[in-house]
Amino acid sequence: MPRSSDARRLGLGQVNSDSYLVQNGPFESDTTYARVIGGTTNHWEAKTPRMLPEDFKMKTNFGKGIDWPFEYKDILPYYGKAEYELGVSGDVASQEAIGVVFEENYIYPMQEIPPSYLDKIVGGKLNGAPTAIRGEKFKLNVSTFPQARNGVPNKGYKPIGAVNTHQDNSGERCQGNTNCVPICPVQAKYDARKTLVKALLTGHVDLLTQAVASKVCTDPLTQRVTKIEYKTYDSIQGSAFGSGSVSGKVFILAANAIENARLMLASNLPADNDYMGRHLMDHPYLLAWGLLTENAGVMRGTSCTSGISTLRRGKFRNNQAAFAIDIHNDGWGWATGSPYSDLLDLVNNKNKFGTALKSGLINQVSRQLLLANMVEMLPEFGNRVTVNPNYKDRLGNFRPILSWSIPEYSLEGIAYARQLSKQIFQRLGAEDFTTYDPLNYGYTSFNGNGYEIRGGNHLSGTHLMGECRLTSVVNSKQRSWMHDNLYLVGPGSMPSIGTSNTTLTMAAVTFMTAEDILKVI
Amino acid sequence: MKNLKEIDSIEDIREHLMIAMQLEHATIPPYMTTLYSMNPENDKNLDTRGVIRVILREEMLHLTNAANILNAIGGSPNLTVDGFVPLYPTYLPDGEEDFKVSLQGFSDDAIKTFLDIERPKKPSEAPQGSRIKSFANGRISMISRPNIENRFLPLVEMKNGDVMHFYSIGEFYKAIELGLEILSEKNGDKNVFIGDESRQVPDESFWGGGGKVTKVINLESAKKAIKLIIDQGEGDGYTIYEDPNSEEISHYYRFQQLKLGRYYQKNDVPGRPTGPELTVDYSPEAVFPIKANCRLADCEGSEELKEAALDFNQFYKDFLVKLTTAYNGHPEFLESAIGDMFKIRDKIGFLMRNPLPNHRGFNAAPTFEINNCHT
Repeated sequence: MPRSSDARRLGLGQVNSDSYLVQNGPFESDTTYARVIGGTTNHWEAKTPRMLPEDFKMKTNFGKGIDWPFEYKDILPYYGKAEYELGVSGDVASQEAIGVVFEENYIYPMQEIPPSYLDKIVGGKLNGAPTAIRGEKFKLNVSTFPQARNGVPNKGYKPIGAVNTHQDNSGERCQGNTNCVPICPVQAKYDARKTLVKALLTGHVDLLTQAVASKVCTDPLTQRVTKIEYKTYDSIQGSAFGSGSVSGKVFILAANAIENARLMLASNLPADNDYMGRHLMDHPYLLAWGLLTENAGVMRGTSCTSGISTLRRGKFRNNQAAFAIDIHNDGWGWATGSPYSDLLDLVNNKNKFGTALKSGLINQVSRQLLLANMVEMLPEFGNRVTVNPNYKDRLGNFRPILSWSIPEYSLEGIAYARQLSKQIFQRLGAEDFTTYDPLNYGYTSFNGNGYEIRGGNHLSGTHLMGECRLTSVVNSKQRSWMHDNLYLVGPGSMPSIGTSNTTLTMAAVTFMTAEDILKVI
Repeated sequence: MKNLKEIDSIEDIREHLMIAMQLEHATIPPYMTTLYSMNPENDKNLDTRGVIRVILREEMLHLTNAANILNAIGGSPNLTVDGFVPLYPTYLPDGEEDFKVSLQGFSDDAIKTFLDIERPKKPSEAPQGSRIKSFANGRISMISRPNIENRFLPLVEMKNGDVMHFYSIGEFYKAIELGLEILSEKNGDKNVFIGDESRQVPDESFWGGGGKVTKVINLESAKKAIKLIIDQGEGDGYTIYEDPNSEEISHYYRFQQLKLGRYYQKNDVPGRPTGPELTVDYSPEAVFPIKANCRLADCEGSEELKEAALDFNQFYKDFLVKLTTAYNGHPEFLESAIGDMFKIRDKIGFLMRNPLPNHRGFNAAPTFEINNCHT
């Protein structure tokens, strides 16, 4: 996944304002996002697991977090719609085995992306391995992830290929380039431009380019939105800019969780309960990496085809975070910068060249196993996005300021995930190479151990949806309680994120919202 | 090369369709050679590579459609017969003349050849004394031309005793379509389309890009399969689109974009594209200097190169064996054949990056001398 290159270790009370995103700590994340057409979907990995039914009622089921204002069964048909819009390749049976519920006879648009050779090696040795959390017993199992990436279509589905002006109709199938991030070279991966093109072709959509929304203006009596002001720029380097505004009947903010909240706060619209920008969530990631004893064909397939989803559910969630484990097909790249770091090591430190360099590199990289633990995070009132006149961008817009820490609930999960990764490596006979650097920006101590925690780019929670105006920002249709012609759309509305990458659920909720908007207009 | 017979029986059509598959395949080595001659580390020809890749993929679709028609009428596609892959340069019909098709690097001449391959050729009404003759009540035009060695399309023995050439590839497909029509009418659809439906390659098995594989079970679907081949190739002959209702540009005009340096867009007229500019770079930085119609003998002097060239030919032959299996009731074999296509690209890349020891200034290239390889 894309990483911010600006993150650095913060000292006590220090603020990192080197890049657009201001980090106020104490936790500093390398989470990032792209402010371009199609947003970060241009660069995402495209995993699309559904949330589990119990994830929607965290408070009711586990006494933690916040409940959604509806149940899994209400969103069920919309998950299907979202999977067909994004073009998901997946296997219903293996998802059902981990607790996901589908409509009767449901099939994904495309067959699952086949597990990689690496997945099969890991699964072969690991499937059925016992483990326990707080006395609750589990058997580990490797299964594929559903992904918004074109595979072999199920009957009648036509995969959507590349969006371009080049008549290069590629991208109707994944080629396994292992280059999903930063960008799929053939656009077999879904990105939001595929949907935007459909919208633009209706002729009902105008796109304002090189313009940034700067203020939401409201009527002081009715609180209804009257217009949105924006600033335009001539070039990325230039300083010249102009301004304008758009008005309409209904307004929809569909930036991401940080930008939606930032714009509302910059417009001095913090919601009457001061919830705007609060409850910021992201999936903290903990990486663990080891070297297998055999050539596992690493660097083949999509970035990740399978993982262990066994520990996404359980009674232990009363006390500690659930997590999902990704098996990465791209080796240690995320953790160490491999294969480039391996190349430099072989050349500079081991003086290898020619055939020895080639075979040395293959021997090293093809055995690398990276486990990425994606850990649940709950909404906390104090984890938040704010704005401050001291931090503005070159257009004079407020920049977002992040102030957050990793809740103990997640840290418990992280500590457990690290222990489990050691067990997994032991079972696989793999040598554990995991080290966490105290000078790393994400280094966090917990119960005497330190962990490098990385961001997941699953930013969410900043304009919570709920049943009641007192304890949420938007209703179940993502409509603002305060401003009744305004919709705040996106993962900012999510009261919990469970152990699912947020995009699919966000898309499903957006389908529900779209129906509501159509009723209004 | 064995002559074809003017279509009179289902067996005649099967023989025509075998040639059709050979013909569809015959464009693949030249397109592929030119495509991979562009250095992938140089971005200048990014657009060009995209344009050629689309066409290459559509030729694979045509090959599969032809196999589906052949299977539908009880034939067995075989891509491993001697001569299936021609020895390049080979000659294709172009109305009055045959023209030469070479395996060559990306160049002005390569684009000219590609335009020749795909150019719509509409025979005018045969004037008195012309070498053109009409058959089947004027529906098919044949021509007599001087005989050329390495001519790709065989001669046809007409029922009236004439031995003629097809005027163009379009006329060749028209003859197949007409043959199917006449036989269906005479013997009934069911007695012509006798093939086992499970031998049809379904669209799900085709990797995607450039339209759908046509499942052929009767005359109607056979005509649809042929229409796709003709429309994507020549188009309707008057507009840049495959047919008036289509948004897809036919191969001829896709290639013409490379010549004119600009993309076509909707509502453009032939010869005057108004879309975005398209860069074409023939410079040595952008194109490997490969020897045109490179042969194994050209690799003499380097055992390593010779071995790589031989290895490529054998790999390609094995690949054709795999496709033959796929087209004979095992479409699931296409999945691993697709993996092989990436290996084909990599093997070609290896050859094209290395100089020929006895041909100063030229690099090696795949020779496609397949006939001596074992199956």
